[in-house]
Amino acid sequence: MAEPDFEAQLSRLFAESPSFPDAALFNAEVASKLDRGWAMRRVFIGLAGTAAGLFAAFQILSSRFSSEISQLSRNSGHNLQTEIDAGLAKFNGILTGAPASGEAMWLAAGLAVLALAFAVTRAVEDL
Amino acid sequence: MGMDRPPTGHDVELAALAAAGDRRAYGELVRRHGSAVRGLLRRLGADSATADDLAQDAFITGFEQVADFRGEGAFGGWIKKIAARLYLKKVKREARLIFSDTVEPVEEITVRDASGDGAAASRIDLDEALKTLSRGERLCVSLCYGADWSHAEAAEALNIPIGTVKSHVKRGLDKLRAKLARPEEGARREAHG
Repeated sequence: MAEPDFEAQLSRLFAESPSFPDAALFNAEVASKLDRGWAMRRVFIGLAGTAAGLFAAFQILSSRFSSEISQLSRNSGHNLQTEIDAGLAKFNGILTGAPASGEAMWLAAGLAVLALAFAVTRAVEDL
Repeated sequence: MGMDRPPTGHDVELAALAAAGDRRAYGELVRRHGSAVRGLLRRLGADSATADDLAQDAFITGFEQVADFRGEGAFGGWIKKIAARLYLKKVKREARLIFSDTVEPVEEITVRDASGDGAAASRIDLDEALKTLSRGERLCVSLCYGADWSHAEAAEALNIPIGTVKSHVKRGLDKLRAKLARPEEGARREAHG
């Protein structure tokens, strides 16, 4: 048999895919893995969103605290240490006294938790 | 919804739907090409369990990369290349002695002749004939004729010189030609041997 003929025959033989009795099971397993991967991706996005939200809230609060510190450093008539202590006390007051910025932080945290809970619930439903 | 009919259409259309996130369209592609990928992995030398695991991984990888499939070639060829790459990665990781000259026994491929036209018989002939090849010959022949890889692609993936691939393919083809041309003679020899 000439080489090109044989190679063509071989390509044809390779192209004839076997028929597996458990093909339906194989297809179902692939579909299940795809669904699981999709669910995991949702959880990951939810977690990433939560982390980003918390980070943003922390950054907002930190920048306010920094501006308070720089304001204090400009005030040369006072003892710096005393003022930092006062700034820290004020920062604690922001966190515990629940003024507007504290409310924003708690609101952000609450929304983040809600988003996470939603993502986890959807993921569990999908699984 | 279970009552929905499975998506129909050309592979390229289904791949475009899958790229947009339609997992049912991709499921249809799995249904169409699943057996071909499973068969190829067995012919490359993987055992049944490994072949099926890798075939599943290939389809998962394919779904993640389906946006890259532009329809220049057949979807079947594209997904087979992914499967073959996964198999080679596994073979390398397990540090098998691929290009030794020993002939290792491999599992039977269980097939069912759905067409009734003798096609299954010729597939069995091929699978039987492939068993007579060394692992390296089998790998090179199956990559080049089953997954449509060029000699250069196979050489690069296997990290061997292209001349080595060509010589393995040539030796493999010689053995296959002899085996496929005279299957009854081979069977007689085995019966008497």
